[in-house]
Amino acid sequence: MENILTQTTARPQATAPAPVTSAQPVIQLREIEKIYQTKTIETVALNRVNLTINKGEFVSIMGPSGCGKSTLLSIMGLLDEPSGGVIELDGRPVQAYSDRELAALRNQKIGFVFQSYHLINDLSVLDNVELPLLYRPGVGGKQRRERAYAALDKVGLSARTGHFPSQLSGGQRQRVAIARALAGRPEIILADEPTGNLDSVMGEEIMELLLNLNRQEGTTIVMVTHDEQQARRTQRLIRFFDGSQVS
Amino acid sequence: MLRHLLTLIWNRKRANFLLLTEIFFAFIVLFVIGSLLIYNQVNYRLPRGFEYENSWEMTLNPAGQAREQQHTALLQVVQRLRTLPGVVDVARHSSNTPFSFSNMNTIFPHNGKDTPLTEIYEVDDHAANVLGLQLVEGRWFDRRDDAVGSAKPVVVTKDFRDAVFPGGKAVGELMVRDKDKLRIIGVTTTYRPANDYADGSPGMFMRTTDLDSVNYGLPVLLVRVQPGSDATLQERVSREIATITGGWKTDIQPLPEKRIRKLKTVLVPVIGLSLVGLFLILNVALGLFGVLWVNISQRRAEIGLRRAMGATGSAISWQFLTEMLLLTTLGVVLGGLVAVQFPLLGVLGVPSVTYLLGMGAAAVLIYLITALCAFQPSRQAAGIHPAVALREE
Repeated sequence: MENILTQTTARPQATAPAPVTSAQPVIQLREIEKIYQTKTIETVALNRVNLTINKGEFVSIMGPSGCGKSTLLSIMGLLDEPSGGVIELDGRPVQAYSDRELAALRNQKIGFVFQSYHLINDLSVLDNVELPLLYRPGVGGKQRRERAYAALDKVGLSARTGHFPSQLSGGQRQRVAIARALAGRPEIILADEPTGNLDSVMGEEIMELLLNLNRQEGTTIVMVTHDEQQARRTQRLIRFFDGSQVS
Repeated sequence: MLRHLLTLIWNRKRANFLLLTEIFFAFIVLFVIGSLLIYNQVNYRLPRGFEYENSWEMTLNPAGQAREQQHTALLQVVQRLRTLPGVVDVARHSSNTPFSFSNMNTIFPHNGKDTPLTEIYEVDDHAANVLGLQLVEGRWFDRRDDAVGSAKPVVVTKDFRDAVFPGGKAVGELMVRDKDKLRIIGVTTTYRPANDYADGSPGMFMRTTDLDSVNYGLPVLLVRVQPGSDATLQERVSREIATITGGWKTDIQPLPEKRIRKLKTVLVPVIGLSLVGLFLILNVALGLFGVLWVNISQRRAEIGLRRAMGATGSAISWQFLTEMLLLTTLGVVLGGLVAVQFPLLGVLGVPSVTYLLGMGAAAVLIYLITALCAFQPSRQAAGIHPAVALREE
């Protein structure tokens, strides 16, 4: 299995995002609204957002805290329901899908990378990476192991399979989280501030990893970030303010 | 998934230790209570081996009369009562009558081995009729036993035979007890005179004749009366005895009343133990419920993550339920290892099969409690909104 990280370090020119040859939408958001309502207050988190993410694109979303970036990512990842509007995945609206159908879509199509890694501390690196495959029917134990090893190899952590998250650095943890997202071989990776908890060196390492994934595997990536420099390295930068897309 | 959950349980062993300990002790307590309850219930269903419904126990108090006079008076009393209208039969019996608190037991060697603890009943030829004893082998005492022989005739209970002569017949066997030669002439059915929940323990009936005086204690008679006999007959019997003996006091206790009194004393500890057991079960249930509730609160981020990775709400619910049942299995297996020592060491003095049933009942109950306690928190886990849970950390 090709090691994306090692290769990246050896060939820095490989960091350019993959060119999108044909615009084939994988995620389409139409008039998406998200309103949080309590007895006294109504908070508009997303206000009529229209957004299309094409296959193979690396899109970054920027905006101040509380502007609705993470909410948008949750909605794209089918973790949250919008208050209004339509979400389409591969051209099919998913609103009417049952919990089981949405879970299957999340499992097969989407990989998640979170700012705080969200690794299960009581599981080894290998077990953490296997996690999405546990919920995939037809994938046996042996296949799970092989795919998890392969994913860890890609992120340069094949020597750390037996370690626990607490024994790893922040950068290594995020690489485990990326391996976990990769193990499921998703078409889309949704990364919510993947470098937010890392220092600049480790942040750069993770960014290179994501760029290479996009370039080599053609994985569609949507990344929420506060880092303007990193955002500029992606194909498209979307800016958000007060729940609306401003550019 | 099972391997994954086992790994998770193993890696969380510190966090699971208290829960496991609670399940382990709950299993042991339930096993002990369950074994005792099953043992009592099985005994309750066994045939009693005698009839008590129309019988009285009469304790006679000679009030300081000389032993020789007592003996003559006692024989006169027995003779008279047997002819009294309303009385079916009268038998002499040692003080360990049915439902009494009195015991007279012994262990003696036979064929190089000790017999089990055996209750000795000193009775006359009429006792089988008064108590309605049934024989499975041989015969009861009668005139044929008056002939002077080298061995005293005895009738043993089925449980004595099964313990001392396993798989074989007992009639005709010779035994020696305190230098007395004993010849078994009959075997009764299982005989359970102690109480409704007592087992059929080994017993031996020794023959008392008119020549034998009361060796110790007060003379005791068992009287079988016509069905429906009431206090009028009791009064008349007391009067007759007083007349014959010149003032002996008579204490008459119908066996049905004695049975109830004995039952109360037996049931009080059983009920007490059951209440303690119930209290413990409630404690365990509340403990499990609380621990699971906290567990789920602490693992909200994990739940959110699993949902993001493709777990359905019901998969989350099942995961928590299965984790709990796997932990329970571990607790039950550990408890089972301790529980199997009970029959090996004979801790509760109940048959081996009862221990096995007790273990089964305890396991079923503990699984049921765990499943019930885990159900609501697991449902709660399934309902956790993944986006919210992921954002919380």
